[in-house]
Amino acid sequence: MSRSSFCGSAAHALDRRGFLGLAGAGAAAIAADMTGVGRSLSSSTLASELKQQGKRCIMLWLAGGASQLETWDPKPGAVTGGPFRAIPTCVPGAHISELMPKMASRMNTTCIIRSLNTKNGDHGSGAQIMMKGRRDEASVKYPDLGAVLGKELGRADSKVPDYVWFYSQTEGRGFAPGASGFLGARYAPMELTTNMAPENLRRLDGITDLDHKERSDLRDLLSKQFERGRTSSTLGSHNEAYQRVRGLMASEKLFDITQEAQKTRDSYGPTQFAEQVLVARRLVEAGVPFVRVARAWWDSHGQNFETHQEMVPELDHVMATLIDDLKDRGLLESTLIITLAEFGRTPSINPSLGRDHFASAWSCSLSGCGIKGGAIYGKTDATGNRVVEGEVGAAQVFATIYRALGINHQKNYYLGSRPVPLTDPNTKPIKEVLA
Amino acid sequence: MRWCICIPSIALMFAIGAQADELQPAGIPVEKTIDHYVDSAIKANGISSAPMADDATFIRRVTLDLCGRIPTAAETREYVESKTLDKREKLVDRLMQSSGFVRYQASEFDAMLMQGASNGRRGGGSLRDYLERSIASNRPWNEVFKDLILPDDNDAAKKGAGEFLKPRLTDVDKLTTEVSILFFGVNMSCARCHDHPLVADWKQDHFFGMKSFFNRTFDNGGFLAEREFGLVKFQTTKGQNKDAQMMFLTGKVVSAPGMKEPTKDEEKKEKERFEEFKKKKAVPPPPKFSARSAFVETALQPEQRGYFSKAIVNRLWNRFFGLGLVNPVDQMHSENAPSHPELLEWLARDLVDHRYDLKRTIRGVVLSHAYGRSSRWDSNGEPPAAKWFAVARVRPLTPLQLANSLRIATSDPQTFENTKPADLEKKIEQIESSARGLANMFEYPNDDFQIGAGEALLFSNSDRMQKDLLADGGDRLFSNLKKLKTNDQVVELTVSSILCRPATSYEKQMFNDFLAKRIDRPADAQRQLVWAFLTTSEFRFNH
Repeated sequence: MSRSSFCGSAAHALDRRGFLGLAGAGAAAIAADMTGVGRSLSSSTLASELKQQGKRCIMLWLAGGASQLETWDPKPGAVTGGPFRAIPTCVPGAHISELMPKMASRMNTTCIIRSLNTKNGDHGSGAQIMMKGRRDEASVKYPDLGAVLGKELGRADSKVPDYVWFYSQTEGRGFAPGASGFLGARYAPMELTTNMAPENLRRLDGITDLDHKERSDLRDLLSKQFERGRTSSTLGSHNEAYQRVRGLMASEKLFDITQEAQKTRDSYGPTQFAEQVLVARRLVEAGVPFVRVARAWWDSHGQNFETHQEMVPELDHVMATLIDDLKDRGLLESTLIITLAEFGRTPSINPSLGRDHFASAWSCSLSGCGIKGGAIYGKTDATGNRVVEGEVGAAQVFATIYRALGINHQKNYYLGSRPVPLTDPNTKPIKEVLA
Repeated sequence: MRWCICIPSIALMFAIGAQADELQPAGIPVEKTIDHYVDSAIKANGISSAPMADDATFIRRVTLDLCGRIPTAAETREYVESKTLDKREKLVDRLMQSSGFVRYQASEFDAMLMQGASNGRRGGGSLRDYLERSIASNRPWNEVFKDLILPDDNDAAKKGAGEFLKPRLTDVDKLTTEVSILFFGVNMSCARCHDHPLVADWKQDHFFGMKSFFNRTFDNGGFLAEREFGLVKFQTTKGQNKDAQMMFLTGKVVSAPGMKEPTKDEEKKEKERFEEFKKKKAVPPPPKFSARSAFVETALQPEQRGYFSKAIVNRLWNRFFGLGLVNPVDQMHSENAPSHPELLEWLARDLVDHRYDLKRTIRGVVLSHAYGRSSRWDSNGEPPAAKWFAVARVRPLTPLQLANSLRIATSDPQTFENTKPADLEKKIEQIESSARGLANMFEYPNDDFQIGAGEALLFSNSDRMQKDLLADGGDRLFSNLKKLKTNDQVVELTVSSILCRPATSYEKQMFNDFLAKRIDRPADAQRQLVWAFLTTSEFRFNH
């Protein structure tokens, strides 16, 4: 469906959205049919279930803390503003940094939250809070967003991974490990740090494919013997894990970008971050619920402006390309893109022309699925030092993310008999940015 | 953070509990008392229970629980064939006297106290090192508690004990919460509570009262130091400002000097005093009144020690049965009754009466019939609820249990035959130290543990597992399998080494077929056979 056929009327916009939503789900199912959605679709899956199953999420993690002033909340002319201008976007009245011209013309897909006060300017704790939406309790280790979405949006018998995690640079990697907390290893991320493809997906040379399969069948028979007269969810998870092995091995090709058209690869560009985001798109297209791509070296205590001059345009280009690509495939309506860091950077500029850690007034953005494109929520003061309107913390951002993906943010998990809500009680999503 | 509301008199009930004369007499052996209470409850609820597990299953279960490994084929055979009437007692006593018991229990206590934070750090000065020495000398649990809360850097015997407190001093709220959870089974941090007050016992006064025992303690250049004064202030949910009293969980208030905020001058003087010690790199002397000492003393007083004694009994029970008498183990309060209140009461009393001897409790637990039941429910209908302990639970192995067992299972079983006990212990210790790296690849199981595909992929496709477990080599299972003449022998040796039991005829048939189809590549076929047994749930779990 070409963009030119859309006449722009409100009614058509609705129709088009409805059509694309459906076509999107269909396309994803046909494209890969690796989640098993395709089969259950033809039987009796409820429309609402399909809706939730079809939803996916890509997180662009700006490790080290990108500056809100050089991205989503510029303060040109202010003493804290730095050298870059603000430019208008396709949404009237909304301005972002001139370093992001491509996103400026795509603001209608994206909302900005400019009023984050997450109170913690330490890399480790900040990363924990922004990955989990809260801090661990003494005896409760919370699952991070990827683990929750893997559970909520994935399928128990999925043939693709639930949670994939790229983090190739070393900066801050230890601060923000993927953590499935009390959900356990079942929802632990498939981590990619040094390679573009995950470990242990490929059969070793020493064994034939037939033997690999038949020894696995033997194992199943033995385990079934053992399972007779015994029930335990942990026992069940052990056998499920082995049943997923062959399917996961088949998903290795999803990590191979040489299978993409050259044109597509060119559009993303040759950087490592771009290539990983392209893999992320391949993964969500095949039904992986959550992919996180980390891009590090944002921690600009010195030479903040050179750093951002170099890195923001790459982010701008890759994010815009991802949005276009998902839109062309009819997947943008079912895929949420989160662009987030552990915190922002100080408005004040230090003697090394750097900006330091700053968690009291910073920004993040959400694009695509469930989001009111063009919405700008919250406001900081003229210098960007404090939130003056719509202050929110990590919990509200997480509630918003869950709602955008059709998940009840107050849903309880159970740790034994103990109920653990997805977000702390009384947390409200930011409805102003939700579609 | 929100704290819940409380009725102190109910909290007291947990501290003191039922009257002693209602309980079974004190002189009865621990295991007999356990069976008395567990069996009575089973009978009273009109349910039936699973039969006792067979000898091979029992020795595997108890060796895993006590020493963190599966038994060797030789150990299993000797035990199964023994006709001695008290062979269970003999086995349990042998295992509990072995060095493997000390190593594994130290690891378990380390994991409990540090929740993985120490990453199993070993060697001089580590907490684990201290725990090994404590377990080897069977140091009473109340003394261990004292050592951990009141560490003395000058006392060589207690070296390493300070590692419990030191890393926690940066966050006194968290320290307070963790001490309450670990030693008293009480979790007062209600951030994850419901809107309705699930727990009526705990007031803000309790939390900040407990915090008052710790807020004078700090890290003075790597040494633990404690001030003469300090006052915890807090705001009530109604917005009222309040000074905390130094108060234990039960509501018992300690009258302490120095319950004030110091003047600027006092503060300055004290700071200078501590700076001196920092410079000298010396342990600062304890204050005239130590709030932490008062805490330890109060917690162990006869009227207050109920939480302390029950919490450890419940944790041990939870470890050996896969479910506590109170669940979760950090929710001991009036709204969450134990499944067997008198039993918990009796065991706690017994522990106190026997100078907090944990080995005595552990021995009683593993010798009880309740512990020795089969994990398989072959009768009609659904198995009875887990809380009746009428059928044993299937429990995932801990990382150390799994790694040690993988190593033992894939060693040449011949090397364990006819060895003197001392030599066997030495060999097992070597195997354990070679298994540590492997153990780091697995996750420590929590209450509702779920095993991930990552583990299955690791076993299926990693070069490391192939080399670690399935390689050829002089001292490996394979070198022995290769020498065998018939497929039946291959299956028998594989099953007895890996699963600690004889092979069934079904398994022999199944594997005969599998091996027969691969006569062109017998070594590969044997490797796949071993792989299938190592990855079956029967191996991955304690059952």
